[in-house]
Amino acid sequence: MSEAKPKIILRTEGLPDQRSIKTYVDKAEGYTAVRKVLGGLSREQVIEEVKQSGLRGRGGAGFLTGLKWSFVPKDMPGPKYLICNNDESEPGTFKDRYICAVNPHQVIEGMIIAAYAIGANKGYIYTRWEFQEEIGYLETAIKEAYEAGFLGKNLLGSGFDFELDHYSGAGAYICGEETGLISSLEGKKGQPKVKPPFPAVSGYLGRPTIVNNTETLANVPWIINHGPKAFRQWGTEKSPGTKVFSISGALNKPGVYEVPLGYPFESLLNDEGGGMQAGRSLKALIPGGASAPVLTPTECEGLTMDYEAMAQRGTMLGSGAVIIIDDRQSIAELLKVTIDFFAHESCGQCTPCREGTGWLNNIMDGILDRSAKPDNIERLRTVSRNMGGKTICALSDACAMPVMAFVQKFSDELHAYLAAGSGSHRQ
Amino acid sequence: MSVFSESLQAKIQSFLTRYETRRSAILPVLHAIQDEHGWVSEPQIEELHHTYGLDRVHVKEVISFYDIYKDHPVRKYQIRYCKNLTCHMLGAREAICRIKEHITALDAQLGEDGPFSLEEFPCLGKCDGAPVMLVNKERVEYATVDRVDEILAKYAPLPKL
Amino acid sequence: MSQESQVTQLPKETITFNLNDRDITVPKGTTVMEAAHRNDVYIPHFCWHPGLSIAGVCRFCLVKVDNRPKLEIACNLQATPGMKVSTLLPEVKEAHKWALEFHLVNHPLDCPICDQAGECKLQDFYMEVGKYKSEMDRPKVLKPKALNVGSELVLDTERCILCDRCVRFEQEVTKTGALGIFNRGDRAIVGTYPDKKIEHNYQDNLVDICPVGAFTSRDFRFKQRVWFLKDKPAVCPGCSTGCHVNVYAKPEVRTYFRVKPRESAVNSHWMCDTGRKTYKHLNQDQRLRFPVATDTTGKRKRVSTAEAVASLVAQLRSVAVQDVALLVSPQYTCEEYAAFFDFFVKKLGVTKVFQWREPTEKLEEFDGLLYRGDHNPNTFGLSEALAKVGLPKDVKNGFDDLARSGAKLVVALAPEIGFQFPSLESQFQRLSELPFVSVWTTSAAAYNVQAFKHLLPLKGFAEKRGSFLNYQGKVGELAHPFPAAVDDAHDVVEVVTAVADVWAHAL
Repeated sequence: MSEAKPKIILRTEGLPDQRSIKTYVDKAEGYTAVRKVLGGLSREQVIEEVKQSGLRGRGGAGFLTGLKWSFVPKDMPGPKYLICNNDESEPGTFKDRYICAVNPHQVIEGMIIAAYAIGANKGYIYTRWEFQEEIGYLETAIKEAYEAGFLGKNLLGSGFDFELDHYSGAGAYICGEETGLISSLEGKKGQPKVKPPFPAVSGYLGRPTIVNNTETLANVPWIINHGPKAFRQWGTEKSPGTKVFSISGALNKPGVYEVPLGYPFESLLNDEGGGMQAGRSLKALIPGGASAPVLTPTECEGLTMDYEAMAQRGTMLGSGAVIIIDDRQSIAELLKVTIDFFAHESCGQCTPCREGTGWLNNIMDGILDRSAKPDNIERLRTVSRNMGGKTICALSDACAMPVMAFVQKFSDELHAYLAAGSGSHRQ
Repeated sequence: MSVFSESLQAKIQSFLTRYETRRSAILPVLHAIQDEHGWVSEPQIEELHHTYGLDRVHVKEVISFYDIYKDHPVRKYQIRYCKNLTCHMLGAREAICRIKEHITALDAQLGEDGPFSLEEFPCLGKCDGAPVMLVNKERVEYATVDRVDEILAKYAPLPKL
Repeated sequence: MSQESQVTQLPKETITFNLNDRDITVPKGTTVMEAAHRNDVYIPHFCWHPGLSIAGVCRFCLVKVDNRPKLEIACNLQATPGMKVSTLLPEVKEAHKWALEFHLVNHPLDCPICDQAGECKLQDFYMEVGKYKSEMDRPKVLKPKALNVGSELVLDTERCILCDRCVRFEQEVTKTGALGIFNRGDRAIVGTYPDKKIEHNYQDNLVDICPVGAFTSRDFRFKQRVWFLKDKPAVCPGCSTGCHVNVYAKPEVRTYFRVKPRESAVNSHWMCDTGRKTYKHLNQDQRLRFPVATDTTGKRKRVSTAEAVASLVAQLRSVAVQDVALLVSPQYTCEEYAAFFDFFVKKLGVTKVFQWREPTEKLEEFDGLLYRGDHNPNTFGLSEALAKVGLPKDVKNGFDDLARSGAKLVVALAPEIGFQFPSLESQFQRLSELPFVSVWTTSAAAYNVQAFKHLLPLKGFAEKRGSFLNYQGKVGELAHPFPAAVDDAHDVVEVVTAVADVWAHAL
C-alpha cells in the first residue's frame, strides 16, 4: 500500500514553523476557503456542501456534520454559538492534541466557516486543561488570526463578524460530551443536559449552539476548497474522507497518522505503526478508545478502519484511538483500568450510571483481590446490560459496552485470574 | 483588605467581564487563583462570593467536581501520573510505585514541606509517549521506573532510598 | 403562590394522545408526566415534582412510546397527537426493577430508624416493582449522616438518592440557593456550603419533597411511626394567607404530630415553617381542659359546661347591656362570628365590640412567598361579620378602647394561636383587671392567669367545622374535624347556642 497518503488535516506537518499563520497561508491554502465562503456563498450553500461531502463527526459519535448544522433554526434572532470540542479525554486518543500542535489555523478556519453556516458570531475553543502546551499554541494562533483580519468584525469586508475565544477545562472527561461541555462553559459542573431540547435549538445559555470536534472542523476548509466529490475520493460510501488516528501500545511507531477511512487495520499497525515491538504479539485490539468494545485477533482479520466495519463487529470507530494490547497484558487489570476510569468520570446525575459505574468498580475490586465468587464475573455483564440506553448521556453505555465485550470474549482468562488466588481469599 | 494580590484582582475582574455571564468566569478565575496559590482556600471563596458576586455554593460545586481544583494546600510539585490503558501497559504501575517510595522518604524527612504529591490520573492524551505524567503544567513522557529518579531529581533533591 | 389573580385562562390549543388505552386531551406542550398527574394515572418517579423544573435524573419514570425501541422518560416527553404511551407493559415493569436496584445499591438499610419509613418512595416502589433478590453483595459507599443544616432539618447524605429536588427548590422557590451537589459519580453528596445553614422559613418543604429520609424534620424526629397517623384536610390558622394543609394526629391518644401543605391555588405545594407549628397548641399539655367558674366564696373551681354557662348567664343578667363588651380575636370561623354576634349584638344589643389583635403587628409585611404580617386566619371574615351587624369593621386592635369603655363584663374570644403574639401575656394581665371576664379559649395560658374567674375550653381549628376568609376573601374550609383532644371542648357556635338557650329560659 504505497500510494501517496492524502493529507486533508495534517497539511503543515513537518514543515518549518508548521503552526504559524504564514506557513498555513503559504503552504496549505490557508484561509482561502474563508475567502471563498465570505466572497459569495450563502449559508445554505455551505451547509449543502458539507452535507454532500458526507463528513461525519470525528469526536466519536460519527453523526453527519452537515445534517447537525441544518438543525439550527434559520430565522431565529439573537446570538448563536459555534464551539470546538477540544476536550479530547477518551483514553487512547491524542489526535486532536496533535492537530493543534501541527496545524491549529485549519481548525480556526473551519470554525469561521461553520459559524458562518449556522449564523453564529461567537465561538469558543474548549480545550482540556492538561493540554497546556497546546492551549498556548491555540492562543497564539487565535492572536495571529485576529491580527491578520480573519477574526473579529466585518471579516474581509463581508459584514460577517466572528469573535473567537479560548476556554480551558479543568479535568473532567464528561466535558467531552457536548452538553457537558456547554454546562462547563456556563461556569457550572460539566453535567450533560436533558435532551430535548437539543443544543442546535437550545444550547449554551439557552441559545442555538453547535459543538463540533476539532478534527471535524479541520476538515471543513478543504471540503469548501475542493468540493464534496473530491472529499469522497477517499474512504467508503458511508465513511468518506480521511481520519486522523492515534495508535499506541507496544508497537514500534506509536503516534498520530492521517489515512483514508477504510484503511486496513493491518497496514495501520504494520506500516504506519511499524509493527509490534520485538517479541510481542497482538492479544486484543481496542479500535476506538476505551468506550469501544474490544476485538480479538481473529476479529481483526480483514478489519478496515471505517464506521461500518466497526459497527458490523459490534464495536465502534469512535475517536479513532487505536490501542494495541499485547500478549503480556492481563485482561483483568485492563478491565479494572477501564471500569475505574468510568467510575471516576461519571458526573453522578443519573442513577443507573452513577450507581452502575461505582458498583462495577466495586465488583472489579473484589475480582482483583480475588475475594469475589466466580458469579461476580457474570454479574459484571448483568449490571452492564442494565446500565445502557436509559441515561441522559452515553457515558453509561460507554462503560457498559466494553465491560460486556471483555467479559464475553475473555471469560476464561478472567475466571483463571480469579481462581489463581490463594486459598485464604476464597470462600 | 483583599486576600488576592493586586494582579490577581485585576485578572479576576477581567474574567468577570470577558464571558456572556459572570458565572462563566468561575473556571478561569479558579485557574488564575491556583496559578498563584496552587489551591483555593475558604477565605478566597468568601471573597469571590462577597466582592465578586460568584456564589459560594456554585464555586464549591465546581471545585469539588473537577479534578484540577484543590480545596486543601498542595505541594510544590503536583505529579499527575496517568494510570489508564496504554500507560498501564507500558509501565505506569512500577513507575508509580517508585515515585511513592520517594515521596514516603521525602515526607518522612520534610513533612508537609515534602516537594511532591502524587495523584493517579486519567488518560493525559499523549499515549505515544507512554507512560506519561504531568508535573504541575509540564508534561513528561517516557516516565518509566528506570527514569523516575533522574526526572524527579530535576525538581528537587532526592534522598537515598 | 401568585396564581390567585392570574387565573385568566387563555384558550390553549389542545392535543389528544393515548395513555394506557385511554384517550387524554391536554394543552399542547404538556408532558406525558404532567398529563398523567392530572388524570390520575400514576407514573412512578422520584425527581419530577409538579412545583419544580424538570431534572430527568432519576431515570425511573420510563414509559413505552409507540414502537420506539428505547423506553423514554415521561417527565421530559411532550405529548403529541396520536402518541401511544404505556406504563403497564412488561417491558416497562422489567426496566423498573433495575431502575430501583440502582437506587438501592448504596442506600443504607436505615428503615428501622428512619422517620420516612411508611411514606418512603423507595419502600413503596420496592413493594410494587422490586427485584426482591438483590445482587449487591459489596460494601456500600458511606457518607455523612444526621447533619444539622437548618433549625428545622436533619440531613442524612447517605440516604439521599440525589434526585436534586431540594437543590431545585432552593433555586426556584425560595431563590436562596443554599444547597448544592458536590463531587462526581457515586461520591456525589448533597449539602449546604460547609458550616452554612439554611435559614429561611420554608425549610420543612424540603422534608416534604425529599422522597426518602435524607431530609427529615427535626421537630418530628423519632416521635411517631407514620402508619399510626391519620390526616385530615384543614386550613392553616397561622396567617391571613390561609394555606391549605393536612393535619396529622393519632386520635386514639388524642395527640397531634404535624401539619403539611396540601396542594391548592392559594399555596401551590408549599407552606411556611411557622404554619407547621400550628398543631402544638392543640395538644393536651397546652389545652384548657375544663370549664372554670367561681364558687360562692369567689374561689376558682372546675365546673361542668352547663354550670359555666349558667354562671355566665347569671352574670349577664346582673349588668346593663351598655356595661357589656365583646373582645374578639380574628382567629375564629365565619360561622362562629355569625352565631356570636347574632346573640350578643342582635339579640342582647351589645354595642361595645372590640378586636383582639397584637398591637405590634405589621399587617403590610409579606415575605414574598406565603407568610403575611396578619397572623390571623380570619381578619377578613371578622370584618365582614362586624359590618353585617352594623358595627365598625376597620381592622384595629381594641384593647385601649376596651380599657376606656368602662365595660364591667367582657366576653372574650381569645386568640387560639398565641405563639405569634408577644403582647399576649400583658394583654391577659390587663384584661384580668376588669371586673368580670369570661374567656373562651383553647389555651391553658388563660388558666394560668389567676385573676380570670370564668373560662370555657374551645375546640381548636382542626377540631371544628367552619370557614375562614383569607386576605383576598377566598374561602378556606374546615370540613373534616378530628374529635377534640379535650373532652369538654366545644366550638363557639355550640357554646353560644347553649348560652342563648339558658338565657331564653331564664327570662
